[in-house]
Amino acid sequence: MVALNEVGAEKAVEELVKVDLTTTSVRELNAELHAPTARRYEVHNPRGAEAIAVGLHDAVDVEIHGPAGYYCAGMNMHADIVVHGNVGTGVAENMMSGSVRVKGDASQSAGATAHGGLLVIEGSASMRCGISMKGVDIVVGGDVGPMSAFMAQAGRLVVCGDAGDGLGDSIYEARLYVRGSVASLGADCVEKEMRDEHVAELTELLARAGMSHDASEFRRFGSARQLYHFAAHNSAAY
Amino acid sequence: MCGIVGLHLKNPALQPELGRLLVPMIEAMTSRGPDSAGLALYDDEGMHVVKDVGLPRDICAAHGIASRSGYQAVGHTRMATESAITPEHAHPFTPVPDLALVHNGSFSNHASVRRNLAFDGITCTTDNDSEVAARFIGREIAGGADLEDAMRMVLKEFDGFFTLLVTTATQFAVLRDSFACKPAVIAETADYVAMASEYHALAELPGIADARIVEPEPERVYAWSR
Amino acid sequence: MIDPTQAGLRESATFDRATIASIQRAAETGVYDIRGWGAKRAVPHFDDLLLLGASMSRYPLEGYRERCDTDVVLGDRHASNPLHLDIPITIAGMSFGALSAQAKEALGRGATEVGTSTTTGDGGMTPEERGQSKNLVYQYLPSRYGMNPDDLRSADAIEIVLGQGAKPGGGGMLLGQKISDRVAGMRTLPAGIDQRSACRHPDWTGPDDLTIKILELREITDWQKPIYVKVGATRTYYDVKLAVAAGADVVVVDGMQGGTAATQEVFIEHVGIPTLAAIPQAVQALAELGLHRKVQLIVSGGIRTGADVAKAMALGADAVAIGTAALIALGDNHPRYADEYAKIGSAPGFYDDYQDGRDPAGITTQDPDLAKRLDPVEGGRRVANYLRVLTLEAQTLARACGKAHLRNLEPEDLVALTIEAAAMARVPLAGTSWIPGQNF
Repeated sequence: MVALNEVGAEKAVEELVKVDLTTTSVRELNAELHAPTARRYEVHNPRGAEAIAVGLHDAVDVEIHGPAGYYCAGMNMHADIVVHGNVGTGVAENMMSGSVRVKGDASQSAGATAHGGLLVIEGSASMRCGISMKGVDIVVGGDVGPMSAFMAQAGRLVVCGDAGDGLGDSIYEARLYVRGSVASLGADCVEKEMRDEHVAELTELLARAGMSHDASEFRRFGSARQLYHFAAHNSAAY
Repeated sequence: MCGIVGLHLKNPALQPELGRLLVPMIEAMTSRGPDSAGLALYDDEGMHVVKDVGLPRDICAAHGIASRSGYQAVGHTRMATESAITPEHAHPFTPVPDLALVHNGSFSNHASVRRNLAFDGITCTTDNDSEVAARFIGREIAGGADLEDAMRMVLKEFDGFFTLLVTTATQFAVLRDSFACKPAVIAETADYVAMASEYHALAELPGIADARIVEPEPERVYAWSR
Repeated sequence: MIDPTQAGLRESATFDRATIASIQRAAETGVYDIRGWGAKRAVPHFDDLLLLGASMSRYPLEGYRERCDTDVVLGDRHASNPLHLDIPITIAGMSFGALSAQAKEALGRGATEVGTSTTTGDGGMTPEERGQSKNLVYQYLPSRYGMNPDDLRSADAIEIVLGQGAKPGGGGMLLGQKISDRVAGMRTLPAGIDQRSACRHPDWTGPDDLTIKILELREITDWQKPIYVKVGATRTYYDVKLAVAAGADVVVVDGMQGGTAATQEVFIEHVGIPTLAAIPQAVQALAELGLHRKVQLIVSGGIRTGADVAKAMALGADAVAIGTAALIALGDNHPRYADEYAKIGSAPGFYDDYQDGRDPAGITTQDPDLAKRLDPVEGGRRVANYLRVLTLEAQTLARACGKAHLRNLEPEDLVALTIEAAAMARVPLAGTSWIPGQNF
């Protein structure tokens, strides 16, 4: 593997750079990814390290081979990042664009506050998946934990398995699609009709995420919009 | 506010390796708790507790943790919030024989529980909120409760944020509060159950790539017995 | 109508007229009162402290002729590009949404003219603000409304907000009247809704997780930007220690007099501690870590005059931040709007309905016609003037105490007028050597 300090800035753009996190620091990796000298990167031996591949803003491909820790791919813009393993808290938090694909499971707050891009979790996601999401598309192959899509403002959350308690609590205009069971709905979240445009957008999302399920197997949830304004009769929901 | 690790060995062949496996786990939690650290190790002679101020690496070296054997251990790295940095304030808290508790989080009603315990004649020796939980569980167990039941009682009595790992001579149990904000990950193989605040504390364990990785659900007791 | 006092009627101290009005209001609406501003009750404050000017035992400096420097460096603990400010008086975080775009621009213009920083708020960074602010601090809040990594990279510092003095433990609010199309667009919310922000960050809780969050923000910004941590003053000693442990370059402590755009009245008046009580706790925490003046302390909440600035710095602050006072400098609560305040049931000196967007001064509003009343260039000039006066006043007092730099003011330059202030500020009661709680 190439040590990063051997890759000079004046050097021609490499096709593929391999980085071993047993010999290269996360700081060196991120510095390289912020001013990339290659189009593709492979990261080996992440061993759950925090803040891997955060703050990227160029259209590069990054493949992380192994489990990553907190905030992997945080605030991603334009880059396409794949993790071959599990990820810790806050994967792709506040992503703006590009894509992040997790081949394993994700811990809490996956895709938190993300404004755009596509987050695919092939396994399951823990609590608070899509918390305060602001436009991102999240597709989860397995289940999502309790309080997912809490205060979700915009974007789509697709759950191919089951959803835990309190789904979509205090949701705004995000759209939620669940194929399996929903343990319970949070305040102001209700089931809504699957109209043709919803089947169409879900079909397109599933295809982009590489999921083979039929859109007709899903139910749609969204905001009842009863908590949009302060009112005395809502006091129990506050 | 802290880092937690724990290891419960199912395969007796690993027992000579307990300390060697544990040291990198607790060292990986240094940034979560650089003030002090502590460990409880269980072998056939009983529970052995080490608590000290300083970095986990130095404490493990000073007490020869890497060469210890045994069947179960918990470890804790501490970032003190509202109580002093002393060995006595370090985790684990071990109020009754063979019981060890490590905690990550912050109880919001520990002063009230502390007063209730005092009324029953159970006095805490530090102002640490985690000690209150340890003495509470100790009282339940001394009264004949199973560890799992004692931990479910914590859910009724305590408010706030917590991930708890509690061990007895025979049991290893994990519990998170209803918000489950404080992190926890459990890895299980045929050879062991391992628990930590973050995955990277588990990354060096043998066979971790094939372990079943679980993130504990809120308000559910996860327990293993030997 | 009779004059109640002339008629010998007695008003209850417990149930005074404001209390009676609030009970009546609650009974009519069934919803708690939401308002702007900070705590209005009287609490021990900088007015309860006095400076000991030089005479025989100490030597004063000549006003206007001998230097009294005012510059401050913020964030040089870990950041490669710390902030260098000409004066230690900054503009606190106030959102576009709470304030009009013109007001935000005016604050940026004023701060830039005198070489200090201004701060974004809930809802993100506007181009007007970035364009007119030489030093702009980007707030990182629980809601993450408008949170954009490009803005993070364009900021001069990052302020992670755990809370503010007006509502420690509470989330932000912005009522529907102020969620205009532009505000809604920046926050990804439906226009016109009553916005309730989160009180905790969505992806971390506590100092152990904050350590990792700060690491992520440093990685994203290549360790260039100073990272502040802002807390509302409550358990300040512990919170400052933990902010430092988590890796903060600068700690911002906001006392209970600190303002807000919209919060429950009960929260504003009943949660948190006075600024005066918070500073010694924060300084003690930093001193015990050996980091006083290495991790800088910014104090806010009720700063009005150069005397307040000098006293805060003497107690150990490296800089102060102003919010409410800056709005007043822009024209908030100006008597010229007396008739218009009357139309909305208020009066100059009493107006605190920042939440409802009908501000006659055009500051705390999103109404385009009202907002037009504030010319950002003229507003900027007023803010700059006010900041200059604060600085000159603080320098005057520092010179009188014999200091060639504001930061050389120290607690030993202060005495207290009341026992309460002496106990909170940990300085002796005037004319005695008695610091309540420290020596008996």
